[in-house]
Amino acid sequence: MDNIEKELRTVIAKLFEEKKIDLVIGYTKGTLPLVSTPIFLKEEKDVDKLIFDVSCGNNLVKYLKRHRIVNMKDTKVAIIAKGCDGRAIVQYIAEGQIKRDDVLIIGVPCEGVVDPKKIRSKTNGKEVSQYRIEDKKIILKGNDFEISLNKSDVLSDFCLRCRYPNAPLYDIFITEPTKSVGTKDEYEKVNEFEKLTSSQRWQYFENEMSKCLRCYACRNACPMCYCEDCFVDQSNPQWFGKGTDLSDTIIFHIVRVIHTAGRCVDCGACARACPVNIELDLLNTKAGKEIQERFGYTPGLDPDETPAMAAYDAEDKQEFIL
Amino acid sequence: MKDNPYIPIPVRLKRTEIESDDKTLRTLDFTLCDENQAFDFMPGQFCQLSILGKGEAPFGIASSPSEKGFLRFTVNRVGGVTTALHYLKEGAVIGMRGPLGNYYPVEKFKGQNLVIIGGGFAFTTLRSLVLYIFANRKHFNDITIIYGARRPGLLLYQNELTEWEKRDDIKLFLTIDEKVPGWDKKVGFVPVVIGEVAPKPKDTWAVVCGPPIMIKFTLLRLFELGFSAERIYTSLERRMKCGIGKCGRCNIGSKYVCVDGPVFSLAELQKLPEQY
Amino acid sequence: MQYKIEKNDISTLIDILASVYDLFGPVKTDGLTKLARIKSASNLDLESFNTDESAKDIFFPQYETIFNFKDGEIKNEFDKNRPIAIFGIRPCDAKSFLILNKAFNNGGVNDSYWNQRYTDAMIFAIGCNRPSQTCFCNWVNQGPFNKEGTDIFLIDLGDDFMVESCSSKGDDFLKNVSKITLQNPNPGDLDKVNQIKREAEILMSEKLDLAPLKSILDTQLLDSPLWNEISAKCLSCACCTYLCPTCHCFDIQDEKKPGTNQGSRVRMWDSCMFSLFTQEASGHNPRPTIASRMRQRIMHKFNYFVENFGEIACVGCGRCVRTCPVNLDIRGIIKRIKNEG
Repeated sequence: MDNIEKELRTVIAKLFEEKKIDLVIGYTKGTLPLVSTPIFLKEEKDVDKLIFDVSCGNNLVKYLKRHRIVNMKDTKVAIIAKGCDGRAIVQYIAEGQIKRDDVLIIGVPCEGVVDPKKIRSKTNGKEVSQYRIEDKKIILKGNDFEISLNKSDVLSDFCLRCRYPNAPLYDIFITEPTKSVGTKDEYEKVNEFEKLTSSQRWQYFENEMSKCLRCYACRNACPMCYCEDCFVDQSNPQWFGKGTDLSDTIIFHIVRVIHTAGRCVDCGACARACPVNIELDLLNTKAGKEIQERFGYTPGLDPDETPAMAAYDAEDKQEFIL
Repeated sequence: MKDNPYIPIPVRLKRTEIESDDKTLRTLDFTLCDENQAFDFMPGQFCQLSILGKGEAPFGIASSPSEKGFLRFTVNRVGGVTTALHYLKEGAVIGMRGPLGNYYPVEKFKGQNLVIIGGGFAFTTLRSLVLYIFANRKHFNDITIIYGARRPGLLLYQNELTEWEKRDDIKLFLTIDEKVPGWDKKVGFVPVVIGEVAPKPKDTWAVVCGPPIMIKFTLLRLFELGFSAERIYTSLERRMKCGIGKCGRCNIGSKYVCVDGPVFSLAELQKLPEQY
Repeated sequence: MQYKIEKNDISTLIDILASVYDLFGPVKTDGLTKLARIKSASNLDLESFNTDESAKDIFFPQYETIFNFKDGEIKNEFDKNRPIAIFGIRPCDAKSFLILNKAFNNGGVNDSYWNQRYTDAMIFAIGCNRPSQTCFCNWVNQGPFNKEGTDIFLIDLGDDFMVESCSSKGDDFLKNVSKITLQNPNPGDLDKVNQIKREAEILMSEKLDLAPLKSILDTQLLDSPLWNEISAKCLSCACCTYLCPTCHCFDIQDEKKPGTNQGSRVRMWDSCMFSLFTQEASGHNPRPTIASRMRQRIMHKFNYFVENFGEIACVGCGRCVRTCPVNLDIRGIIKRIKNEG
């Protein structure tokens, strides 16, 4: 990782120097251990603030449109892209949200990011104050403990099933594209879940959704939720209740799943943002699986392919239409 | 239930009438269902009108405390509640909470001159103020009223305006944006008319209600004429829910429009972070 | 008056409380610690940091009925529930109730819904022997052993709890609790308390004096480009405000059963970080940008609330720090603002 950061900083310093960019959307050290924070770097002198490691979980593509829209039309923007960020950019291009030339993509080889919830469970709720990576191990230190864990035990589930650790499109790649840390079948969780009875599945969703606070952190962290005027924020007409009535909460989540079906790049931003640990990926992955099986479409890989939900073919399977 | 500030009292629609020629404005007169209930208010205050199943919305009281037997509101049709109010039939019973907020500082105005400036449909609480002054006319000195709308059909309370024009104890100037056949009064934006009328600032207070752009240029004109920010009052509108300073959305700085307002002096507003 | 009780007595204490009160306490669920209704001490979690969600939901539920209506008739009946007791919240949450109580009863208009739950409630708070790295209660005139807002305060001594009454309600409770032996603490116990407090102090982040904050916000930052800078990475979600123990903004809406004339007027939490919060029916929005909403949130806590109620509307619980999806740390914002002074 040290090499990656070193090269990243050198490359970006050079880009600033050559006036090829005005702004870099990247990661810097956060205020808590194992938590990074987005940074909008505008000057060469700040490049040492850039980091890239297992703490860099946010999907930075969320900021791409905002920074292009808000008084920055003439700003040359570069973005640090893991595989999932890269896929979100590709999907933005495919959906006509940005043009390929709008952004300089700096690919980074992603070997997975940690899931703070797993860490918390591994340390029994004790706080980590320092960490270091040693090959396949992560060593966590707190006030009165030090433990060594397999990295794979604390990586996000999304990373453990990731098949695209490198951005599909990039202008510059830092070091070398890497092999995915994902060892699990993409749809393993969904396949297992499908074996349950419908009442078991419903009960599961009721239980998960009843935790929801309606803070919309999932939607707001999701790079694919870029609508200027989300159905959630419409008041005339108001589509559903604003309270925590289970039926309203479920409507919110189901509509979001439908709106992101065949568009979700499985980055895990939603689940990571959720303050109450709702398992948010199951429905999304299921929707992605359906799209994949029916239309052979995987979002975020090919900027020139028409997205599944925007394409129509007379041969499209439609047995699911009642 | 009486001590619960969120429970509306029932009011019955006594009269409803289209107020503007584009049919977006409608005037509704309500009576309290419980006739023995006291309802004391002052010009500038507002109420939350409540249609069960649709919700609540705030409206300035357009009738004057001196008018007995009804409470008047003029409603612009923009959202769910206002549309429902437009469709109400006479005799219908809805809910009302109020009176809420502060009011025009009529005590300060006593023994002084007053310039009342209104634009468009923001003349509701100004009507209340004018009628209050008429009922207590001897306490006030010169009264000048300048009221404008885009065209004649958008002026509120036209029958009353005709009556007011006959009075010799006020100066009333009505204006429209562009000349139309049959209009023999002033033509031009309100701020321009203020310049023509040129009220003297000495011992005079100004009360201004209207759309933001009108207010902006009206203030410039009043400053030119020598009015100080302390002597200019306006009434603000904000999205409101509770109306009692708790739900957190209508504040401008540390002031809540629903309890510290809606009436503010310009001097007060200048100290606050956001303008209207 | 301070007493000592054996840790084993906690289950008896909980039984007594549960028989009289609608009792809440911290419980581990789904990897989080939440305040839940408890009937016994069996799954009480007094080891974790402050609960993941704040305690405000107990007195100010996220979603509650103001009244029901049917065919134009309003029916409003307060739940005649038993009084509420909360056992084992942290000092920050106990203090937050005092702040919320001011907000809900300002200007002489009392909020019946808050009051019916809060006024008769009993609050048992427990000191924080091990504050979290996100705690900054010492910045806002609080501390890990602050007793404000509590009726009975406990300190974990290892094998025993130190118990202290902090209100007349607490006095009455301790006077009448006969099934538990209230021992008089010996000097060794008091030494231990002091040592625990000292150790906790060391774990806290360095104290920051926030007294100058109000005037900086008031005079220099009403219209500053700083807000754009601070809010640049904000996602405008409501994690911070919904988990905040002092944020109290709400919405009121009518919910009607389709095809009927009956339904409810409900109130639910709302957030100043949502664009819809101030959006008017005309489409005009006085706070249209994330920066303007961020300014409102910070100003409300550190300026407007101070202006109106004489204290900061933040208890330093650190929940917004822990849960912000982009690590927009309010402590950093506060320091940044202070540097402007």
